Amino acid sequence: MSALVKRRGAAVQKRAASEKRTEYLAFLLAGDTYAVRISAVGEILRPPPITEVPRAPSPIIGVVSVRGRLVTVMDLRRRFALNEAPIDGKSRVLLVDIGGDEQVGLLVDEVLSVYRLAESEIEPASVLGGEQPAYLAGVGRPREQKELVLVLLDLRAAIAS
Amino acid sequence: MAEQGGGKGESDRAREEFLSEAQELIDGLGRDVLALDELSKVGRSDPELINDVFRAVHTLKGLSGLFGASMMSGLSHELEEVLDDLRLGRIELSQRVLDVVFRAVELYGMLLGVERGNGMDLSSDIEALLVSLGEVSHRGRAGGASPVAQYELDPGLLGVLTEYEEHRLRTNIQNGMSLYKLRVAFPLATIDSALDELKANARPHGEIITYLPTGGGSDADAIELEILIASKESVDTLRSALSGHQLAIEEVPRRPASPGARTSLPPMARLSVPAAPSFGPEAGTQLVADVARVPIASLAPPPDRDLTLRSVTQTVRVDIRKLDHLMNVVGELAIVRTELMAVVDRLRNRAEMRPLMQELLRLHRSFERHLEQMQGGILEVRMVPLGQVFEKLARVVRQLSREHDKQVNLVITGAETELDKLIVEELSDPLMHMIRNALDHGIESRDERLRAGKPPVGTIALNAFQKGNQVLLEVEDDGRGMDPKQIADVALRRGILTPDEARDLSVRDALSLIFRPGFTTREEATDLSGRGVGMDVVKTNIGKLGGVVEVSSDLGIGTKVTITLPITLAIISVLFVEVAGRTYAMPLTSVEEAIVYDQTATRTFEGREVMTVRGATLPICSLSRLFGHTTSSPPPHGFVVVTSVGNRRVGFIVDSLIGQQDIVIKALGRTLRGTRGFAGATELGDQRVALVLDASALVEEAFAEKERAA
Repeated sequence: MSALVKRRGAAVQKRAASEKRTEYLAFLLAGDTYAVRISAVGEILRPPPITEVPRAPSPIIGVVSVRGRLVTVMDLRRRFALNEAPIDGKSRVLLVDIGGDEQVGLLVDEVLSVYRLAESEIEPASVLGGEQPAYLAGVGRPREQKELVLVLLDLRAAIAS
Repeated sequence: MAEQGGGKGESDRAREEFLSEAQELIDGLGRDVLALDELSKVGRSDPELINDVFRAVHTLKGLSGLFGASMMSGLSHELEEVLDDLRLGRIELSQRVLDVVFRAVELYGMLLGVERGNGMDLSSDIEALLVSLGEVSHRGRAGGASPVAQYELDPGLLGVLTEYEEHRLRTNIQNGMSLYKLRVAFPLATIDSALDELKANARPHGEIITYLPTGGGSDADAIELEILIASKESVDTLRSALSGHQLAIEEVPRRPASPGARTSLPPMARLSVPAAPSFGPEAGTQLVADVARVPIASLAPPPDRDLTLRSVTQTVRVDIRKLDHLMNVVGELAIVRTELMAVVDRLRNRAEMRPLMQELLRLHRSFERHLEQMQGGILEVRMVPLGQVFEKLARVVRQLSREHDKQVNLVITGAETELDKLIVEELSDPLMHMIRNALDHGIESRDERLRAGKPPVGTIALNAFQKGNQVLLEVEDDGRGMDPKQIADVALRRGILTPDEARDLSVRDALSLIFRPGFTTREEATDLSGRGVGMDVVKTNIGKLGGVVEVSSDLGIGTKVTITLPITLAIISVLFVEVAGRTYAMPLTSVEEAIVYDQTATRTFEGREVMTVRGATLPICSLSRLFGHTTSSPPPHGFVVVTSVGNRRVGFIVDSLIGQQDIVIKALGRTLRGTRGFAGATELGDQRVALVLDASALVEEAFAEKERAA
């Protein structure tokens, strides 16, 4: 990759510098690193006591109260058909606005950090091969951490389906 | 005294009516006196306000006399005297007078408690106050500053004069006119023209100051007016000038120099007058003809003597429980609506029933629309202005600021903002706490404020306003503000915060630590606040109402606590039950009873589980099984909650009954829309949430399950 960058030369670097960067919040889910646009995340919470809702769709683990508001919590592991894991000290709930004055909470294993990705650092989901689900928005490859692969999610699509 | 109604029930109701009306008057009184206090601080006064206070006390006097609340009527009598002096400028509105009046308002509240039977003995308090009232009053020095005082005019009459009328009265007296009172009965049908005619006839001889209905007169088709005229003519001249009218006329006597002569009989007395100067007659007994002493407009007519034209207000007081009952009826109608729709669906499949189905569908829609209007209407009736709470707070602030020698101005905006009655009631304690905090922690001492370059008098603002379908309440002070660092330190010391958490704490998070249980910055509790059981309770209580509390603060500038609340609440009564370790809420409207689960009385019967209850068969269904909770067999001492929706009854087996409660129900989110069996959720207080069951869906499901099984 570095060779590629070198060959393209100054023009690319110049474009990268002026390129619009988007902030992504990275988190862990069953050992993989995922990221969502930070603008979609309203708040990060330690998991409050969750009340299970019997017979709810499988990704939904229950409802919680966040400062008097009722929020449905979805386990992203279940959503992506990953092995389930118990909630622990590192678990967090991301509050996501889904419009209509309503928020949904997404349970993740651990919140990592924020990455500012330029458009050139984002590859389309098709690089993963074949037809990909709508919630996969692409793959993030931050230049400063070459070994890191961020699975970029479209939260609205992930919640809606 | 007038006899009150017929049976005991009626007199109880009349008494209840008296207590609540008196409460309302006392609340209003408190508000007006506070306003007077505010004005007097800037050296002003407001005659109208004093009149309002006077009128309220006067009405209280009449009311309490009528209901035999002798201490209250005695107090009112003396207080009225002082207020009359104030009104007529015979005494100054001094701080001392205000203190006495404040004390009286306080005692009124306590007296109401006595009337409700709390057994308190207030006689020494009343006596002490009566002495203070006597000291500040102008009694015994008749012929004071106001010329009006020279006349034997009933305070009740003076109380209802407009400012202009009072002015005219004074001018006429100063011009040497005599005052006359006329009593005329007008037929209801022609009152307008007859009154105009009388006015025209009277005009050449004098000036009509005012006229008001007396509430007397035995003819239901007539209304009796009392008319006050100032004239230079003699009583005989006037009588002949108005001879075309059926009227009684008398001259208003001048007040004699000696006090106590007020009980002298006016010349017009036709019938007996109560021996002692009673506070009763104004309350509307028809027999009393003590014309000079019957105030012209009795402000508190007993309801059963009310003439058509006399209903002064358009409002009624309603017990909130009656509204709750109506709301439950609406809930039941909603079930009927659902069942109707099921009938429509059944007809839909039959071609020959189509026209009937169409008609039924149309009726159903109209029913649905009206039901919604009814529901909206009832919710609207429950709305009351926040001012009801604010007034109480204003009194507390005044009291606290005097006791603790911190000068504070309370600035209230948005008192007219309306919220559900239940929310308003529940708000008074949290708001009280926040105000105490502002006074104790926020506002600095006078010296400290001066050193900080602030005005010596602190300000606490209480603001309310509507924003969308929410109401925002702010308690803001211009005190010393909160230091996020200090709060974090305290939280660390008290073990509320771990050092790990303390490291990267935002200002907002630090401030919100005050809502954690056990948080207090005061080393020693004052009687104002600082016991560490404060803001977390406030937060929990507000949370129960579906509201949110937030705090913002600038060090040295002030603190603002904001409460966001929904305007209306969906409040329902529920039975909390436990199923497989989970808590659920069953709406009480669908619960018939809860009985002990008796395994020996159950049979399985063509795949249906039934239980014999008092000889009848009840289908039963385990909630735990319905919800797929993995548990062992039902505990031997479970309960069966008999739930009925329409004609269908199902007994739901639960592990235990927790209790009955009124809760605020919140809708589940869109992602749970497809999940049947739940009407919503409610907060349990400790951040936990309980699901509210949808009885009709569950009953339907229980039946469907059994039908499948059959």
